[in-house]
Amino acid sequence: MLSVNNKMKQYWQLLFFLSPLLLPLLLFWVLPFICSIYISFTDWDYISPTYDWVGMDNYRYMLDDSQFLQALNNTLVFSLAVVIPTVAIGLGFALLLQKRFAGSSFFRAIIFSPWITPTVAVSIVWSWVFDSKHGLANELLGLIGVPSVSWFEHGNTAMFVVVLVTIWQAVGWTMLFFISALNKIPSSIYEASLIDGCSAWTRFLKITLPLVSPTTFFLLIVNIINAIQAFDQFQILTQGGPGGETRTLLYWFYQLAFQQYDMGSATATAVIIFLITAFLTSLNVWIGKRWVYY
Amino acid sequence: MGLLLKGILVTTSIQANTQQVHLSHKTPWLTLKHVQQAAKYLFLSACGLFMVFPFLWMFFGSLKTNDEIFSNPLELLPQHFHWYNFVETMQSAPFGLYIFNSFEVALFTTLLVLANSSLFAYALTRFTFRGKTAMFSLVMASYMLPAAVTYVPSYIVLAKLGLLDTHAGLILSNAASVFGVFYLRQVFLKIHPSLIEAARIDGASELKILWAIVLPQCKAALTTLGLITFITNYNSYMWPSLVINTADKNLIATGIRQFFIAQGNYGLNWSHIMAASTIAVVPLLILFMISQKIILSGIADNGIKE
Repeated sequence: MLSVNNKMKQYWQLLFFLSPLLLPLLLFWVLPFICSIYISFTDWDYISPTYDWVGMDNYRYMLDDSQFLQALNNTLVFSLAVVIPTVAIGLGFALLLQKRFAGSSFFRAIIFSPWITPTVAVSIVWSWVFDSKHGLANELLGLIGVPSVSWFEHGNTAMFVVVLVTIWQAVGWTMLFFISALNKIPSSIYEASLIDGCSAWTRFLKITLPLVSPTTFFLLIVNIINAIQAFDQFQILTQGGPGGETRTLLYWFYQLAFQQYDMGSATATAVIIFLITAFLTSLNVWIGKRWVYY
Repeated sequence: MGLLLKGILVTTSIQANTQQVHLSHKTPWLTLKHVQQAAKYLFLSACGLFMVFPFLWMFFGSLKTNDEIFSNPLELLPQHFHWYNFVETMQSAPFGLYIFNSFEVALFTTLLVLANSSLFAYALTRFTFRGKTAMFSLVMASYMLPAAVTYVPSYIVLAKLGLLDTHAGLILSNAASVFGVFYLRQVFLKIHPSLIEAARIDGASELKILWAIVLPQCKAALTTLGLITFITNYNSYMWPSLVINTADKNLIATGIRQFFIAQGNYGLNWSHIMAASTIAVVPLLILFMISQKIILSGIADNGIKE
């Protein structure tokens, strides 16, 4: 009898510890994920109570849909354009600020500060900087005799602005990660190379770079995943325009779901976003397990 | 700018070389190291300026008149400090209320996340039960879910619960932090089990052990998690913009966007828009100034994601 009582007590205790997290996790993550997959096989329009099962139609339709393909392409371009400079500049700052010196924490804080602030608010500031008539960017270009650019009226320049804002916000966080990785490199390795008389450049190429490569890879993947999920800056700066040239998959999902109420196509697009991030995350975990130097 | 810097670097390195030659017999007052140091500071200052420039531009823009913005677009400092812009901006939209709303939602979400992540992580690290591995895999799998995949059904769940357009709905739907579980599990695993065993023998309840023994040892980790959760939720835009419809319930990010796209503001009323942006950004910059040591070392030392 006692053991049954004990069992019950343990059971309730476990429930007490697990359920406060499990409840919202199931209600707002797991269940919605399963529902999304289900809805992506239907033609539900949100308003009507009925819907039809359409099988793979939403997915099949995507392959012929120029708007989807454009969004996929934009997502790829945007991610690469953000991630490569972010990781390179982040590493550069980390190398400069790795060792403590007078003012190093100050510079770290300054470089990190954009990450803290609301993307919506800072994007609004950048939209003024790149305003075609009274923006700072055009005024500065005017000083060196370059004619004004209508930044948000052309696909390439509009994308450039969003990329710039995104890098500006992400670079500090990337830097902090690199600093953490650089500090873990044993100083004995550097001392050995100093005895061997290596130049600073050789040291960087032959020691630092290989030793931080797992972190570099991790940061590349995580920054790509973040870039795929970027929304706020697009909403403020371009709304996917002009002519869909800055529309990413996530923005396309948003328009399908909450402007056109085409829930079937929207959730199918979301599932594609999921598949891309799931692939990248698995790659990250898989490589991370095999590629650790220290 | 880049060319200019390169020029400085080249000339300084030439100077440094010549210096080194006749420094070999005298006590150096300027060595290669000094020059390198100077170049480093110069370069970092230029980069730092670029990073904070939008904040300065925003702040000084909010103190100019619109006429001034349009007639002297290159002036950083205003001719007169028009503090009244802030009063007018606060009057044209309830930004104080928006900030209060954001604080409220972010604070309660953070408290919930700290509580339920601690409980969950404690169960994962200190209990043995059937399905523990499955439970951890479930959390791990949720980690890679992009929020967008859940938005449409989550919206319906909130509607079914009658929590659309409420702050409670926002708090509840953000209350599961997979990252929080990961992070605290990692930290809890490092705590030596002997203390916990001793408390168990003394007959302390598990909740008591968590509260009195485990949590006090993880204050730094809890603070980092709390700050990051708070900042993320204070800044969040996409999900609140879908859930909240009533103007008075807006968070700061959704409220400022409403103001930005409101009739007659965009492209014409930059001074008030910048005042609104300043109002949105400053509380976080202050929070960051107070807590930067914790946040920076929390990320740099532990390698936190998001």
